[in-house]
Amino acid sequence: MSGKTKKTRRKSFQRRQDKYGYIFMAPWIIGFIVFTFIPFIMTAYLSFTDVKQDIRGFNISFVGIKNYREAFLVNTEFTPALVSFLGMIIPYTVVIVIMAFILAMMLNSIVKGKSLFRTIYFLPVVVLSGPVMYQLMNLEPAADGQINPLYYTFVIRMIYSYSDVLADAMVSLFDNLSIILWFTGIPIVLFINGLQKINPSLYEAARIDFATSWQILWKITMPIIRPTALIVSVFTIVQLGAMDNINPVLTQIKEKTANTSGGFGYAATLSWVYSLIVLIIIGLTFLLFRERKIKETHKYW
Amino acid sequence: MAKRIGKLVIYFLLICIGYIYLEPIFEMISKSIMSASDIIDPSIEWIALNPTLDNFGVAARVLKMPGSLINSILFSAGLAILQTIVAAMTGYALSRYKFRGKGFWFTMILLAFIVPVTVLMIPRLIIFITAQNSLGMQLIGTPIPQVLMAVFGQGVNGTILILIFWNFFNLIPYSLDEAAMIDGAGPFQVFFHIAMRLSVSTVLIVFLFAFVWNWNETYQTATYLGGTMDLLPLKLSTFDSMFSSNASSGMGSEGMYKINEAYKMAATLISIAPLLLLYACVQKQFIQGIENTGITGE
Repeated sequence: MSGKTKKTRRKSFQRRQDKYGYIFMAPWIIGFIVFTFIPFIMTAYLSFTDVKQDIRGFNISFVGIKNYREAFLVNTEFTPALVSFLGMIIPYTVVIVIMAFILAMMLNSIVKGKSLFRTIYFLPVVVLSGPVMYQLMNLEPAADGQINPLYYTFVIRMIYSYSDVLADAMVSLFDNLSIILWFTGIPIVLFINGLQKINPSLYEAARIDFATSWQILWKITMPIIRPTALIVSVFTIVQLGAMDNINPVLTQIKEKTANTSGGFGYAATLSWVYSLIVLIIIGLTFLLFRERKIKETHKYW
Repeated sequence: MAKRIGKLVIYFLLICIGYIYLEPIFEMISKSIMSASDIIDPSIEWIALNPTLDNFGVAARVLKMPGSLINSILFSAGLAILQTIVAAMTGYALSRYKFRGKGFWFTMILLAFIVPVTVLMIPRLIIFITAQNSLGMQLIGTPIPQVLMAVFGQGVNGTILILIFWNFFNLIPYSLDEAAMIDGAGPFQVFFHIAMRLSVSTVLIVFLFAFVWNWNETYQTATYLGGTMDLLPLKLSTFDSMFSSNASSGMGSEGMYKINEAYKMAATLISIAPLLLLYACVQKQFIQGIENTGITGE
């Protein structure tokens, strides 16, 4: 076969690949451009405008940084909400990822009752999110004077009779703990998945070399599980961010979005600032988990 | 010996934490069958003295059962089927074809997951309202916006569904495709007869995920649909406000709150029941499926 026909053959191969690849991808690409990319850019533009809705449609007028000034200087709720959002998302994510890892290690190590425990621990995958979880967790603001149902439990009542401060602390810890636990559903699934991919002979080799369990955890399990941990962290951040009961920023944005009479431009500003912050957090997560020494270790395998 | 103690400790911890997991559900069940007198009685913790199913009757009425249940199932299942098909196609393209710009689109798929939905809501609304004005047909207040987004792969957590398929298709040996192609199968035949036939369990998992996520997605549904269609989770999220108009009692606010609690728990149990039932039915395939096919995608 001469060089020329080989080249054209490769070219037609590539053309075929392009053609069918894009045919299969087409719905997603169209949807992405229309419903995700254009809206994303549009929000950035709308954040500098005033949007008025009338019978004929939308009246968009450019107002410069007025919305931003209003968000940060005039509105006294937005900046504190952002701060409390950061104060929620960072510790929650850290605790959820660590808890999920520990639970996945435990679930992975047992043999008896394995399927029963997994059924229980995967349950949040089905039930989590949506109004159901809000109802379950009694996450509604305590402003209307309702008493945390945990206070009715026996143990807390007992502690309460000794010291009410301690009981309060316990209640808030347990309250958060159960929320945190309910967020570990999919992270546990992901971690178990990652753990099962680790070649058992690695552990064997380490044991022959008299490595302790602690060393195996840090030198073998953790480095291999690192990419999974990155995915889990990003997933958790996205998941937590979408829960409006624990995300004060989201509540504000939703309020402004629901106000169709004139709040669209301002709502766009708030959501644009918010999503930039979320993207920065996720970017930092990527930096945190970036592959450092992994490549060197790979060489020896 | 030390190993055995370690195992015991693990089981102990798993049981304790499992209890914390399940406690809200137990509480929900126990509260939902309590009668008014049980609820106000502070000495009753878990076991109702006069168990009653009346709460379910009231809750079902407020939730507009069974119409809202049927609506919800049809709505979530419809969107989930569309999402599953598109996710399979996209995952297949990424796994099987080396088209130009593949890396770019892969990055975009990941980015589409990271961008918060809230940031897209306003322009999406503007797009739909403008389209509705220029086409002269009702879009907002109908399921059309969400159906469109599902058809074009922008439904709830579409990225994860794509990644699950992508990961599974990567496990299918390419020689199967080649064998089919030698026998004269075109690309679409390979997709339907090889890839889809082999991935029945993956389709099940993806459909389940999509169903659950669509079921639980209330923000977008509330925005696009409004109150035009009775859906269980939507009804539940507005339960508090609706309830005050449906029932009133001469009791103090504290007692009233607690009784509402019983109705609310019954309502929550009703709206969660289809999901729990589904999970109970396919739980085995579901768990094995997630563990084997994997969604981490390394």
